[in-house]
Order: sequence, then structure tokens, then C-alpha cells
Amino acid sequence: MGKLKYPLYFLYPALAVFLLFFITPTVIGFYYSFTDWNINAKEIKFIGLANYEALFQEPRLKTALKNTLIFSASVTLLQNLFGLALALVMNEALKTRNLLRTIFFMPYVIAPLIIGYIFRAIYHPDRGILNVFLREIGLGGMARDWLNDPNIALYSIIMTDIWKVAGFSMVIYLAGLQFIPKDLTECASIDGANYWSRFRHIVFPLLAPAFTVNVLLSMISSMKVFEMVWALTEGGPGYTTEVFYTYIRAMFSSGEFGYATAVNLVLFVMVTAIGVPVLLALKKREVEM
Amino acid sequence: MKQAKLAFLLLVILAVVLAGCGSGKSNNSGTSGSGSTSSSSGSGGSGSSGSSSGSETPAPKKDPVTLTFVIANTVNATPFTKIFEKYTEATGNKVELQALPGGEYDNMMKTRFATGDFPDLFLMQPGTKQNVKLRAEETLYEWSDEPGIWDVVQPSIKEFQTTAEGTIYGVPFGATGMMGVFYNKDVFAKVGVEPPKNYADLLAIAQKIKDAGIVPFYEAVKDGWPPQIFYLTGWVTYVDPEIGPEGVRALDTNQLKLADIPSLRGLFEKAKQIKELGYFQDNALAGTYDELQDWLGEGKVAMAFNLEGIVPQLEAKFGKEFVEQKLGFFPFPSDTDDGIAMLTAPNQLMVPKDAKHAAEAVELVKFMLQPEMINLFYAEQPGIPIFKDAQSTLYPVQQTVLDYINKGKAMINVQNRLTPTFADLQKTLQMFFMEGDIDAAINEFSENYVKDGKAKRLPGFE
Repeated sequence: MGKLKYPLYFLYPALAVFLLFFITPTVIGFYYSFTDWNINAKEIKFIGLANYEALFQEPRLKTALKNTLIFSASVTLLQNLFGLALALVMNEALKTRNLLRTIFFMPYVIAPLIIGYIFRAIYHPDRGILNVFLREIGLGGMARDWLNDPNIALYSIIMTDIWKVAGFSMVIYLAGLQFIPKDLTECASIDGANYWSRFRHIVFPLLAPAFTVNVLLSMISSMKVFEMVWALTEGGPGYTTEVFYTYIRAMFSSGEFGYATAVNLVLFVMVTAIGVPVLLALKKREVEM
Repeated sequence: MKQAKLAFLLLVILAVVLAGCGSGKSNNSGTSGSGSTSSSSGSGGSGSSGSSSGSETPAPKKDPVTLTFVIANTVNATPFTKIFEKYTEATGNKVELQALPGGEYDNMMKTRFATGDFPDLFLMQPGTKQNVKLRAEETLYEWSDEPGIWDVVQPSIKEFQTTAEGTIYGVPFGATGMMGVFYNKDVFAKVGVEPPKNYADLLAIAQKIKDAGIVPFYEAVKDGWPPQIFYLTGWVTYVDPEIGPEGVRALDTNQLKLADIPSLRGLFEKAKQIKELGYFQDNALAGTYDELQDWLGEGKVAMAFNLEGIVPQLEAKFGKEFVEQKLGFFPFPSDTDDGIAMLTAPNQLMVPKDAKHAAEAVELVKFMLQPEMINLFYAEQPGIPIFKDAQSTLYPVQQTVLDYINKGKAMINVQNRLTPTFADLQKTLQMFFMEGDIDAAINEFSENYVKDGKAKRLPGFE
């Protein structure tokens, strides 16, 4: 029986929606980034590259760029590290496997704002459970003002985000692990390969598609982080945990729509410039089974 | 079979969800808003219009409408709902109260105006600068010559509402507020100190309190807005006497830079000194407004720079007796005397020209200005009245401020007198609190003010 072919015009409704609600606003947004569109202006004027000139001189944006890159690199690395480790453990024949999988995945389905409020309480310098615990076990010297000390606030947000998203990476890695034929690892075991050798030479290379998906998704979503930062610190204290989207929000809030759109476009270009080469590089190492 | 059951279940859930989405639209004035409540009570009947005054209750209208009234959720809604209940009884019209988040109120209102999603009536912050934000000339109902309004409002308040061109777009409603230093009288008595006679005295008091093992000042840096009060209250005591009304006008047209005002720099120096002397609580960076109230009420802290809104909050937490007997107030003291009390102007009621029920909203405003309604408002929320012959039982802290007003030692918040805002001041102050760099802080303060003026396309800033 030949393959059933559907006519191309079945695609048109979806394409129309995509064009109308995604492509058109994006193109219009691109134009607006070259205008002085402002909530107080009576008319919108084309101002060339003025918005871009202004934004590259803005010290607040430099802080946001630095923080976004630190956040993205840390989360991408640690999310995948923890996600993979959890997946490897959850792939073993544990009695409580299903329960543990649910528990580890659960933070991912909780709204970031709720997580933010929970962790604001956990991180409180006096009453927070983290510092109380550290003091109880005699490590009071390690107690910190986790969200208000400018030197560690960003890292506290990073750890909270990893707690939330590691379970999601775990699920994708688990799916990848279950696609690996058991006979390959069993053969290697019979040939005397230990766990690390089996992981390094068989499991990890065959996990490449899951790795590509996970790295790319975590990188893109962490560069676009907003809710977690907003719920925990609102970009503060001062500007110390400002990221791209908290800055964009501030600019939109002050009615500078043209300028805010330009900043958004810079972020879009940045995500693309980093994401595409990473995708191509990771695709290369994927192997066919 | 199992799959078919699951599919059916999903279909039912989808249908319920869609039905829920579809039924949310009300038949009139149905814009959505968080925390919205309705003050509806009686309805029906027929008869005269609802704007008649006096104790005589007009018969409800034949075809009542529902008006939307928008306020910030930081404003106490109870006095308004009480008035609206009376309004509904009198006219049959209902008022749907929509409370929008206070921190986002400005932006949400600007966005609603930009998209033509007008409420019928809304309560806006004070000052003619709101006219710029909302493009009043095009969008708002003008009250300048409206009968039944200005004969009940105190002349100084009317003057404050009036633009340089002589037009008025907002009807003041509420009370004169204040900002300054709130203190716990029990702590002062325990340490044996009195409200300061000058700034040096304030520091001496703080030292005595600290020596007694009590935190002199609470600073809620985490919440951002409370640290601004130090500078705003300090402004009327130090900056206004230095630059005068001409200086404020020069700031308003960008002829004078904030960074070039020596006494403003002096306020940053004073704030830095207080921090360095260890007069704030530990973990001030984690300090919140909520905790500030707890500490002040419990006597763990002696003083806090704050605003009038703290009084009902303290009353809710520690009772009426606390705010009447244990809570005191004094202004930011000057180098030579007890300083000048800082007043905040009342909020204002505004009606968009193109609101669905603009005519009814104008009538509602007139209804709200009837003596019984004004007194009902003050009974629910005591405050220094802005209306002639209004009755209000003041809290002692409000009485203190009224005494300053009567002595001629009170001034309106500079933010209410300037068209641009002190944009991002809370972020600037958080950075200043951490780094203590006075030059960086005052320059950023000054630059952000100019940026805001430019963004608003104000004369002198473009």
C-alpha cells in the first residue's frame, strides 16, 4: 500500500495563522525598532539607528547582557548535568522509580511565580529554612542573605531555576535512554566494560539527539528568562540581577515602545547567533542507530 | 474502549472550558480587572435622575447602568464601596469597582488609554502631571467650570488641581496625606527621648536608642519604594528652602539639574552617615514594608521614614489603641529646627470623555461630593479634610501634621509639583545603599529624571 499523500493546501490555515500572528508582528516590530514610538508621542517618526546607538551606550543593558550570559551558561550546563544524572538513576530498576520520576518532574509544572514566592521564603536571611538549617547543623557561618547580597543573588536565582527545570531535562534524557537497545550495553558488560566505559562509549553517543534537544531548549529558554528573576528579586537589589527581559519590561513600562522593541530585537539576534551554530555543531555528532 | 472514554472526557472538559470562556462577558462595561468587586445593592423602580442632593432619596432610574470605577489596590476601597452602595440605592445604577495592582497602575492606565479601553471613572494619583501621562486635553472630561464641584473644595486644593492654562481635569477626592518619621512612643519613653528639635538632635536620639539595644531606624530596601521617603521628606526641609519655587520651576523645564543642587547632595550624605553609624537594622537589604510595620508595632525598631498609609496598616495589625496612643510623627528636622512637614495631595477622580457612561460618571462624582458622602468617606478613612465643612476625626499623627499646616510649616511633596517623575529612584537608592557612591547615585538620579522628561516629550527636555 502506497503512502497516503495529503494535498498541500491543508497547510494553508495553519500557515495563515502563523503568518498573521507571528511573522507579521515580528516584521512590524522590526520596523518599530527604527522609530521613536513612545506612549506620550502624538506621532511615530522613523529615526534610523538612533535606538540602537542609545542602547549600546546604556550601562544598565551591559549589566543585563552580562547577567543573561552568566545565567544562560550556568543553567544550560547544570540543568543538563543534573537532568542527565537524574535520568541515569531513574532508568535503573528502582522500586520507587515512578514516584521519584513524578517528584523530580513536579517543580517543572509549578508556575515560576509560585516557585519564586516559595524560594523568597526559603532564602530569607533570618527566618528562611535554608539559613535556619545551616545554623542548626553548626554551619551558621555559611548563612547568607541569598537574594539581597549582590555577589550571590544571581547564583541563588540560577540554583532555583535548575531545581525547577532539571526534571524536564530528565524526562527527555529518559526517553533517549529508553531508545538505546539493551543488547548493546549487555554485550559491553559481557565484554567486561564497566559502568563508566559503557556510559562514555555507548550511552552518551547514542543520547546525542536528546542532548541536542535539551541543550538547545535550555539555552534558548534561559536566555529569555524573566519570571524567575522577577519573582525572586525583580532584577535587584539595584540592577545587580537585571537580565534582558527585566530591562525590556522596564522600558516597555516607561512607554518607550520603539526602544524596547530594539532591545528585544538585539536579544533575538543574540539567541539566533548563539543557537544556530550550537545546533549545527550538536547535529553533527548525532549518530544513526 | 479506555481510549474512547478518555477522548470523551477530554471533549467534555474542553467544552466546559470553552463555555466558561464564552460566558465571561457581561452585558455592559465588562472590562476585566484583577480583584474586581461590585458594590451593587438595591435596583429597579422608576423616577428621577440620581444626582439630586440632600438627604432626600431620589427614586431609582428605570434603566440602570453599571459604571466601572478603577482604583489601585493599594487604595482602601471600603469608603468607596460604602458610597457606591448609597449611590445604587439612590439611582439604581451600579458601580463595578476594579482594583488594579498599585505598582503597575500607571502603566495599566496608560495602556488602557492607548487602546481605548476606558473605564467610566478612575482614581488617579495627585498632580497636574497626570494630565501629561493621559493626554488629558484629548481624552479627559474637563471640570474647570463644572457646577456643584468647586464650591465644596478648599481653594488651595482647587488651585493645586489647576494647570498653568487654567484648566482642571481631575476632581480631588480623599484627604491630605503626609510623609515623615513615624515613631513608637513606648520606645521613646523607655529610652527617655523626645522628638528631635533639629537634625543633630535626631542623630543623638538614634545613638541613645542604639545604646539601649533597640534598632533606631528600619529601612525596607527590598521593597524599593520606602527608602525614597527619606529624600522626599528631606526635600521640603532642605532643598525647597534652598532653591525656592523658582528652582522647582527651573527643574520642571530642565533649566536646573538635580545633580547641581548642593542640599540634595547633602541628603545623600546624611543617608550614608546614618547607614555608617549602624542606625539601620541588620539585613536592611532584605527589609520589607510588611516587616517594618511588625517591628515598629512590636517596639523592635524606634523610627521609620514612611507615609500615612502605614497608619491603617498598623491599626489592622496592632489595634486602634496603638495608633491613637503609641504612634507618633515628626518631620525631617532641619539643621536649625524641627523641619517642615511634607504633605501629599489628595488623589483625583477622572472621567474619560469617551467612556461608555461618561455622563453618569460625572453625576456620580457630584453624588460623591455631597456632604453626607464626604463625611461617610472620612468616617471610614479619617484624614485631613480637603473639603469645606467636612467632619473627620483625626488620628494623633494627622493632628500633628495639621498643627504644622496651621503654623505654616508644611509643603506639598515635590513629586506632586514636578511634571517629570523621579524615574527608577528606588533602583538608584538600592545601588547607593550597597555601594555608598554619592556621585554615582546623584548623577543617575539626575539623568533618569531628564530621561523621563524626554520620554514625556516635555518642553525643555526634548
